[in-house]
Amino acid sequence: MPGKARLIVVRGDEAMGEGLSYLLQASEHVAGREADQIPFPSDNWLSPVHANFLYRGEKLVVRDQGSLNGVYIRIRGAAPIQIGDRFMCGQQLFRVDATPKDTSGPEADQTYFYSSPRRPSAFRLTQVLEGGMEGIVCCAEERTVKIGREDCDINFPDDVYLSPEHARVEMSGESLELVDLGSQNGTYVRIRGERELSHGDYLFLGRNLLRVEVTA
Amino acid sequence: MIVCSRCSKENQEHYKFCLGCGAELPRQSAKPRSLSVPTPPGGTPAPGRSTNSPRAQARRAEALASAPLLDVDPVPVERQRSEPIAMADRLPPELAPLGEKTAPCPDCGADVPENFRFCHVCGRDLHAEPSGRPPVDPPAERVSAAAVASPPKTAATPRARLVLIRPDGSEGEAFPLSGSRTLIGRATGGLFANDAYLSPEHAEFRFEGDQLVVQDMESLNGIYIRIEPDVPIELFDGSVFRIGQEILQYEAPTAPDPAPDGTQHMGSPHHGYLGRISLVIGRETKGNSYPIPPEGIYLGRERGGVVFPEDGYVSGLHCRIHSEVGHVFLTDVGSSNGTFVRVLRESYVPKNTFVLMGQQLFRADY
Repeated sequence: MPGKARLIVVRGDEAMGEGLSYLLQASEHVAGREADQIPFPSDNWLSPVHANFLYRGEKLVVRDQGSLNGVYIRIRGAAPIQIGDRFMCGQQLFRVDATPKDTSGPEADQTYFYSSPRRPSAFRLTQVLEGGMEGIVCCAEERTVKIGREDCDINFPDDVYLSPEHARVEMSGESLELVDLGSQNGTYVRIRGERELSHGDYLFLGRNLLRVEVTA
Repeated sequence: MIVCSRCSKENQEHYKFCLGCGAELPRQSAKPRSLSVPTPPGGTPAPGRSTNSPRAQARRAEALASAPLLDVDPVPVERQRSEPIAMADRLPPELAPLGEKTAPCPDCGADVPENFRFCHVCGRDLHAEPSGRPPVDPPAERVSAAAVASPPKTAATPRARLVLIRPDGSEGEAFPLSGSRTLIGRATGGLFANDAYLSPEHAEFRFEGDQLVVQDMESLNGIYIRIEPDVPIELFDGSVFRIGQEILQYEAPTAPDPAPDGTQHMGSPHHGYLGRISLVIGRETKGNSYPIPPEGIYLGRERGGVVFPEDGYVSGLHCRIHSEVGHVFLTDVGSSNGTFVRVLRESYVPKNTFVLMGQQLFRADY
């Protein structure tokens, strides 16, 4: 049903200005640093061809075109998450990692490995810094990690886009869940492949924040 | 797990004292195997006590037994230095402060501070004769493990002794370093036989002039030397150090290349981190990691940017990592139990310095 959806640039590319909106009238709309339809020429976090907005029957979907940095969608409340997934809150980007196998067993000659005290941990979060270096690693104490500006497991007192208690990742049963704790600016998870969009969804493409409007 | 009856903290099997409150733990029957009767890494006696009268020893033992509790803040103690350590030329490579001037290493070309005896990159002895021949050792009487296990009969006065410091802080057996080279390890027997964290051949001690030198014999767990308080020690990519029970590794900042199409990796703001430190929890496995901000970071049990509230052997404020002139340094800020740096390949052992090997703490007296 082409023509019924629009993308509003809420916060965006300096060269393009904010408040710009794109009416999605064709069947496919490519966004990227060198895209014709939805260009973001000055954001080097975007791949030349980054994402594609297209219609599948009645539905608008966004597809990651194999971009380096991906497409992030704001979660509503809580969302399932898997090992290897990335998510953003405030200015912070995290990757969910598995707890590595215990490699502290004895050698063939019966020498024991001397390690720091180990605690049981269901998973860990790794902060990814701009440029790709890894920053903080926080192993879950038991089954949960909370992120915020103060009194959480990981704190960023200087990140003004974070709420005091912003988001939490927890293991319940065998599955992981990302929970937004009612934050002001939301929690965003990187999509895998393709994702259906609905009215009011927010997306991050690089530094650009987009809002999806679907008019009935 | 051993659950402390006093504070209910769960401790690992081999601990003899509770990590939470310092209380003595019951000896657990479940030992990994008979050869392993590991003792916890000892809290080192607070420096500044040298008397060995029974009363002093009792007092010391008492103080140390409760050290984790008492150690709310590093109490300034007068530090005993039996003699001043000559700063020029005589500190081990890992322990020497960075000299202002550097000279290229003849082997690998690295810029080596002029006061370093060994190249910190390739280990080349920079004082060796420039003949290209490796330095010739004095006629070597390599003391074999078996020979050392029983007290030397010829009883020439040993040039040095490794004095065991027991977990309660009292002095234990002394192990003589008599030959020109002494190999120690689990296979040596005696003092070392029961430490499952020592490799069979762990370390070799020798003298160079009047300086004791220790070489890591590619041991699994390495040799750690206590650093002087308030003397910055340079950290290199991969340097390992230990405070309390925590083994930490420094990683220099690295980053992948941008994509070929010019796209940069997105991520959290990079505040100019000096690299990061990570807890070592397995051979190739790290636990929590902490980026080091450009202004540096303190580590402690209660204060600082990296805290270990559950490690009673870490002082309230223990050590600091900071950067000067593009180099990154580790400084002990007067901790009670010390900051220990792992020997890269070999290192001088300054007189009366504490050395950690396996689970045991020694003082190298000479």
